[in-house]
Amino acid sequence: MSVVVVGAGPAGVRAVERLVEAGIRPIWIEESPDGGGRVFQKPPPGFSRDAKALYGADASRAAAIHATVARLRAQVDWRPGTLVWNLRPGPRLLNTQGPDGTKAEVAYDRVILCTGAMDRALPIPGWTKPGVTGLGAAQIALKAQGLAIGRQVALCGTGPLLLLLAWQLTKAGAPPALVLESAGWARTLRAAPGLAWNPVGALRGLAWRAALRRRGVRIRTGALPLRVEGTDKVEALVWRDARGEHRTEVDGVAIGYGLKPETQLADLAGVPFSFDGLQRLWLPERDRAGRTAVPGVYLAGDGASIGGSVVAELAGTRAALAVIEDAGGHVDPLETDMIHRRLWLEARFRAALERAFPYPAEHAAAMPDETLLCRCEAITAGELRGTDAPEVNRGKAFTRIGMGRCQGRVCGPAGAEVLAAARGCDIRDVGRLRGQMPVKPVVMA
Amino acid sequence: MKQALIIGGGLHGLSTALHLARRGGWRVRVLERRHVGRHSSGVNAGGVRRLGRDLREVGLSVIAAEMWDNLPRIVGDDGGFRPFGQIKLAESDADIAKLEARQAATHARGWTHEEMIDRDEVLRLLPAVSGHVRGAMIVRGDGSANPMRTVMAFRRAAQEAGVEIIEGIAVNGIGTTGSGTLVVETDRGPMQADRVANCAGAWASGLAAGIGEHIPTNAKASMMIVTERLPFFCLPTVGSAARALSFKQSEVGTVVIGGGHQGANDIATETSSQNLMNLAKAARIAAEIFPIVAGARIIRSWTGIEARTPDEVPVIGESGVMPGLFHSFGYSGHGFQLCPAAGAAVAELMAQGSTNMPVAELSPARFQQKAAA
Ligand SMILES: Cc1cc2nc3c(=O)[nH]c(=O)nc-3n(C[C@H](O)[C@H](O)[C@H](O)COP(=O)(O)OP(=O)(O)OC[C@H]3O[C@@H](n4cnc5c(N)ncnc54)[C@H](O)[C@@H]3O)c2cc1C
Ligand SMILES: Cc1cc2nc3c(=O)[nH]c(=O)nc-3n(C[C@H](O)[C@H](O)[C@H](O)COP(=O)(O)OP(=O)(O)OC[C@H]3O[C@@H](n4cnc5c(N)ncnc54)[C@H](O)[C@@H]3O)c2cc1C
Repeated sequence: MSVVVVGAGPAGVRAVERLVEAGIRPIWIEESPDGGGRVFQKPPPGFSRDAKALYGADASRAAAIHATVARLRAQVDWRPGTLVWNLRPGPRLLNTQGPDGTKAEVAYDRVILCTGAMDRALPIPGWTKPGVTGLGAAQIALKAQGLAIGRQVALCGTGPLLLLLAWQLTKAGAPPALVLESAGWARTLRAAPGLAWNPVGALRGLAWRAALRRRGVRIRTGALPLRVEGTDKVEALVWRDARGEHRTEVDGVAIGYGLKPETQLADLAGVPFSFDGLQRLWLPERDRAGRTAVPGVYLAGDGASIGGSVVAELAGTRAALAVIEDAGGHVDPLETDMIHRRLWLEARFRAALERAFPYPAEHAAAMPDETLLCRCEAITAGELRGTDAPEVNRGKAFTRIGMGRCQGRVCGPAGAEVLAAARGCDIRDVGRLRGQMPVKPVVMA
Repeated sequence: MKQALIIGGGLHGLSTALHLARRGGWRVRVLERRHVGRHSSGVNAGGVRRLGRDLREVGLSVIAAEMWDNLPRIVGDDGGFRPFGQIKLAESDADIAKLEARQAATHARGWTHEEMIDRDEVLRLLPAVSGHVRGAMIVRGDGSANPMRTVMAFRRAAQEAGVEIIEGIAVNGIGTTGSGTLVVETDRGPMQADRVANCAGAWASGLAAGIGEHIPTNAKASMMIVTERLPFFCLPTVGSAARALSFKQSEVGTVVIGGGHQGANDIATETSSQNLMNLAKAARIAAEIFPIVAGARIIRSWTGIEARTPDEVPVIGESGVMPGLFHSFGYSGHGFQLCPAAGAAVAELMAQGSTNMPVAELSPARFQQKAAA
């Protein structure tokens, strides 16, 4: 039986670990040169910062993940630096591109997709200027290279990553000039009972906030970025909160409104999708073990639904157990039961988080006409509004939005908000962009 | 008013409907199962090409070319047509000989649009082309257009001419009433008409089979790949005399590569998918002819479904089984350019039973004769 695991973040690591324990030697494919995934992104070789500085309170978990990757590498068919750019469910084949650009076909009987997530963008006028980046990307720059994106940086967004990054930058000696949180306090408090499902997680957020304030970092809640000003680089951010419109001089802006699962491979596999009202995203359908309606295709971690690294680890283990079970192996019901309970608890916390830190959908829907919604193809929000497209795929056909190198991964969700608002219909009714291979650019043969 | 029903809201259905409505005296309705432009017409490569066409369809193609030049007057928009030429490269002496023989054949029939050019002229027009090229055939007035924009222009023009376009309605069969009129069975009930056009693309031969008329077609799923943006290096659309390639750089700098390489298709679910070995082949040929694209990254690919006839030219003409029904399908991967002219021809056939447009050799009768023989 050929088992393939795609992705070496927390979900992929735990899946592979469990498969190896069951005596299976999976093919393990990871796009980055090394394992760890997004939370536990490693700095490149020769670049040393201690784990505590890089991963903060998660340092011990980071160390555990990295040690597990190192241990497992010899026991599997480890293929780092390798991108899976297509999946064909009929013949059960994956297409890969190795570090030197060589293409290969990998047959699978069962594949666990642990593809993780990416920043969820919210385009505003000026967001394509050099010096503007995603929150997650800013964090990766910090983790991977110890770089801050500017000297006077504004962070805009929602959710735990916003304050976490503010805190990480501050500790690295580059405190942000301004932090704009889109969620208002009222909302956070209303969700507070739910946040108590994970007291440690919730308290961490409060602790970061307090610590940032103590160090004089300006945090504004209920605040949204309006536009980035500057001729060919970032000069200022114009933003608003309940008190009105403001302008702050900055040389870097990071924007990120939560995360968005990388679902393209699941899409190519033909997994059915349904709309998740809380995340306001189309998500691949799976059962709690990670099985999908497509034979041999399993999903785990943030690539299926945003749950954070703890959930990713649990879901990775659970999906591996499902693979073992479906292949006729023995699985301890107590183990699966325990995982289900913990996943259930985490899901409660997650739902509260989503309620506390929602995607500012109305802000996206109301973006000014001149906003470059699709930066790859330079399509404005006004152009999309100007079509009579009833759903996003036709919006794409009419305007070319989402046809560029990101294939709509960046502009898709915001574009759907714009289109739904323009049509005066529910976000579900405008659908989702159909995926096409390659899921990311590949070098021509 | 006479009643006409057009099955299929691709470009051929829309163009036929437009021309028929403009004649006056006709109530024209287009019945489209999905939405206008959903299949080939909305997703093709946009090549507007007379170059190298089968001699049986060159006449129609030449008329179509004139109409493309006048498209703003016909449908109120130029469809994004850019007449930067279409070039077929010769990569060997054998290729040169083949192209020269071809040129002799078209010139003998009085068509002079195809012109042989030498290596220097090729290099002048295509500075990035590989040095091994020997010469080429060019049609300078050919070029490329924007398929979806063209579809929208034809839709708008048809509606302004009084055509009613009904989307989301599926035709299940065609029959007769006994009183000389035709009846089209749809999922919303039967609809009557004096004339019906079958412009249902890859699904048209299935409708013909439903009335016992056997017009052999199979579905093809041509694949296209798109690279990331590159610096501008190529204006014309480029093919090769001996190899399957169509190559062009779009207005935004991406390179679109096709050439009839086939993917898989499923007529029943109306879906198609890529065949990777064939895609790799297309990419390799492109890189051999334009070394500049060798290291470029592919960001996107797509396919579309279309019917292909055994002799690779379309079926245009009245049904041999059911008078009043007119077929227009089987464009075999090159019907985009023909749409303005083919629609005019089919409308004329529907309205007056004959046309002096050059479509006689494309009649469905060519297959019936074979079946009888
Ligand atoms: C930029 C960013 C920063 C984040 N920072 C934090 C943080 O500091 N703290 C926190 O708790 N959470 C953070 N998160 C959330 C984090 O994604 C999850 O908590 C956790 O990492 C999810 O684990 P995972 O295994 O599901 O996915 P990931 O950790 O994202 O791992 C997915 C892996 O799959 C690989 N991959 C994806 N697609 C392919 C493909 N087609 N072919 C080959 N390989 C592929 C990726 O390279 C990646 O290594 C961050 C997320 C992002 C996007
Ligand atoms: C990838 C690709 C690239 C191409 N490149 C070029 C090119 O560069 N140059 C060129 O000249 N040509 C090109 N072509 C060919 C060209 O696109 C077609 O020849 C042309 O669009 C055919 O138009 P049509 O109206 O006959 O078919 P279609 O556009 O397929 O329209 C048929 C319509 O009928 C509808 N329909 C089907 N069955 C029913 C039913 N039972 N009831 C109701 N409605 C029905 C369908 O939904 C569809 O909308 C290309 C084709 C493809 C796929």
